[in-house]
Amino acid sequence: MAVNLDWKVIPAREQRLGSITGYDGTLRDMAEQGCNGCLQDKRRDFQTASSCAHCHLINQLAGLQGTAVVDHAPIGCVGSQVFFSSGRARIEPPPGAPPMENVRILTTGINEPDTIFGALDKLRDSVRLAYERHHPREIYITTSCTSAVIGEDCESVAEEMTHELGIPVIVGTGEGLRSKIWASGFDAYCHAASLARLKGKEVTPKDKKRNTISYVGFAPTGRKYIAPLFERIGLDLVCLTAGSSIEDFQRAAESVATWGQCGAQSSYLCGVLEKEFGVKYFQSHLPYGGIGFERFFRDVARYVGREEDAEAVLAEERAKYLPKIEKLLPRLKGTRVLVAMGASFAYEYTRMLGELGMIPIHTVAYHYDPKLDNLYEEEKVAAATDVFELKLDVPTSVNDAQQQETNLITKQLNPDLVLSRAHEAGVMAQLQGRPALDAQIGLIVMGYRGLYRFAVLAHEALQTNNMVRHLGARYVTPFTPEYENLEPFQFYREEAI
Amino acid sequence: MTLSCTEQQRTTCSVGGMYTALAIEKFLPIMHCGPGCYANVSCTLGTMNGGQSPETYNNSIVPSTNFCEDDVVFGGVDRLHALVGECIKYYDSDLYLIIDGCTAEIVGDDLEEVANAFQSEEKPIIYTSLPGFKGNSVWGHGEVLASIVDQYMKPAADIDPLQVNIFGIVPYFDPHWSATLDRLEELLIYLGLKPNIIYGRNRGKKNIDKIPAAGFNLVLAPWTDLALAEKLKEKFGTPYLHFDNQPIGPTETAKFIRRICKYANLGELKAETYIKKEEDRYYYYLRRSYPWIYSCKNFPREFVVNASAAAAVSVSRFAVNDLGMIPKRIYVTDGIPEEYQPGVEAMLRDVEYDGDFEVIFTEDGGLFEDSLKYEDLTIRKLCVFGSSWELVPTTKEKLPFVPVTTPLGDFMLGSKTYFGYEGGLTFMADLYSDAANKVIDVQI
Repeated sequence: MAVNLDWKVIPAREQRLGSITGYDGTLRDMAEQGCNGCLQDKRRDFQTASSCAHCHLINQLAGLQGTAVVDHAPIGCVGSQVFFSSGRARIEPPPGAPPMENVRILTTGINEPDTIFGALDKLRDSVRLAYERHHPREIYITTSCTSAVIGEDCESVAEEMTHELGIPVIVGTGEGLRSKIWASGFDAYCHAASLARLKGKEVTPKDKKRNTISYVGFAPTGRKYIAPLFERIGLDLVCLTAGSSIEDFQRAAESVATWGQCGAQSSYLCGVLEKEFGVKYFQSHLPYGGIGFERFFRDVARYVGREEDAEAVLAEERAKYLPKIEKLLPRLKGTRVLVAMGASFAYEYTRMLGELGMIPIHTVAYHYDPKLDNLYEEEKVAAATDVFELKLDVPTSVNDAQQQETNLITKQLNPDLVLSRAHEAGVMAQLQGRPALDAQIGLIVMGYRGLYRFAVLAHEALQTNNMVRHLGARYVTPFTPEYENLEPFQFYREEAI
Repeated sequence: MTLSCTEQQRTTCSVGGMYTALAIEKFLPIMHCGPGCYANVSCTLGTMNGGQSPETYNNSIVPSTNFCEDDVVFGGVDRLHALVGECIKYYDSDLYLIIDGCTAEIVGDDLEEVANAFQSEEKPIIYTSLPGFKGNSVWGHGEVLASIVDQYMKPAADIDPLQVNIFGIVPYFDPHWSATLDRLEELLIYLGLKPNIIYGRNRGKKNIDKIPAAGFNLVLAPWTDLALAEKLKEKFGTPYLHFDNQPIGPTETAKFIRRICKYANLGELKAETYIKKEEDRYYYYLRRSYPWIYSCKNFPREFVVNASAAAAVSVSRFAVNDLGMIPKRIYVTDGIPEEYQPGVEAMLRDVEYDGDFEVIFTEDGGLFEDSLKYEDLTIRKLCVFGSSWELVPTTKEKLPFVPVTTPLGDFMLGSKTYFGYEGGLTFMADLYSDAANKVIDVQI
């Protein structure tokens, strides 16, 4: 099931891509099973709260420039958005653009009587208020668990409001209960934004593409370091991230090529650009670390016929950063690392660790996609590509930020460093006195500069562990001895589905 | 409670009531909610609230069934039952609280049935329905406390007339709750009372157990926990003292100390000695800063509050009575039940200022930012007391700003509180420091 802009409701990742949140084994085994279409999910009867598609649908939509979001939900379903609003406000705006504002998210605040009588009038009024208050160029209505369970017809209100207000009013379907994978919300964002900003647009014919490459990600942070590299092979960088305008989407549709920060957030939108507008989607090689960047940059350069220029860029980047990296290697070499991150970056960092002489002893991914949204079957997800191209393998497991599970693996393996991103796997480790590092993602990690930056941060994390050591000495477990003595992967209880 | 279209919320939905349990040591909430409900609650009440994380059970280990589509069809009671069983095995807890969210409530999953199935366990297991469509996190807080009283508490054999239970401060929803309670506890002990607080370090279940033995309850808030105090009065005959705000600065703190000493028959001498000593200290530090304060040209006297009733009453009393500021408009954003609104408005107007100002009860936190479109800020700026949501517009318009309400912001709160004499100085320093970066000109 690839991308499809005729869908009213975008299927969850589990159905669309066969993605999973429960696995333990090796990356090689998981990738091979995924490629053969026989990867099975596992469930737990002991689990902790994670995150939901709804949250990520809204934070992505509201991050765009010129939009307002009306959440058709009880008030609490936008509770996490202040976090994204605050983060977005700190993004450096593109040259000439005004500083970022608060995100514009209204909620209908579905209440108890609404669950019986419906609340479509409230939804209409909320859309009108969003328009009057913020004068957006488009409005997204987002659905929720509650609006879905009580059967609200948001689509008809969206159509009605589109006519009334004269701007696109589009439904984003992101009910938290429909998927265990919060990345399903990224898909719903990509789908809704594509409907509002791309569907039916007239763009340059495939054979007359403009000299732009588009990047799909959370934020444009790091653009100033990366854009000059693409300029050397004749490509201007367009960012489809927080702060992106309707015009940016138009430029992306006219681009020669596109890629995403990761499979989780970016695949569906890149897939739309490829399927609908013939924009080549590069997804099998992500550009992180030296190896990743060289493969990716050569792929793109080959596609636009600028291989010689690319080689010059790569040589310069190597010359600029490898000597600096070299100086850090003695301290990094042999460090045993446990990685816990989102689906793509878990394996990107696994590969990058190897480049720095560090040893990934186990990688936890918060979900795994056996395939992504590229047009061509032979193109594998980046993790699987590494398994086949680089013979990369690592003990691996998949859990949706089930840190009580990751904690057991950490205890068993006793790594020198826990490398995590978001969802607090590193916090659990540090409270127990273990060195840990919260990693970054996106453009800022790209290429040799990104690898050097990561090496510096890892080096610092290993230089001193004083604060964490003191914390660890005072750690009191919130668990019982029965938990503390468990072997990892004890929480799978139900039959595989 | 009627909820209408809002933006920039300063509460979460009622699931946020679980943070009241999380504020009590070794009190484990077990969620029968969607996978993202906790993340929504924890962002507003925790992470974005001065960087707070709950103890004993931090963000990443709060158990949940992660209610899904299958549960809508088949019901989720069996999965909840299994989860509760695992939680009893794996978490070192004194108490368990089973809660549900919207979807489990709509499909009719019976929490009581699950809780009853575990009544033979040695640890108490209680339950509270917290569907988000029924109310906000303040309402949820009230439901959680009511469940503790109804399902767990037993009358005490003996009453200790000096023991006072502290209520009214809603943990996490009041961002400064932890340090405020610590300072308040110290003050009450000094005055000769035996404060009993259930939230925070080293308190927990043993202090819950002591609640029925109190001589009286103290409700230190405009309206929150008044229903609880009534319930405790009815159930255990405990009288209560209602003081309508957490005092900031000399005027209200002295008023509070005299009031509680009179109520508890503690005698005047100790109270007056304390007040004299602390006032002297407060004004010593104020005088040291006064030449600088005097030179702060352009410091705006007018202020707007966009916050909970608790923050609004505390901050506006201090700003008006002690800082000589002028209220312009006060948005009260915690969804106060209608029956309490006239009383809270009277509290807000009970300041040493004769001019008129607006009091608006709304959960629409976005009204303030919207109102800036219509303000003439070219001659005079405004001071703003609000939440993280006010950071962007006040930075853009260069308005002096102090965050006082949830979600407080993306920074480290540490042990900050604006409670008492010391808190007043801290508040003043925060306000003038921000103003100095935005509007104050001491050179020209």
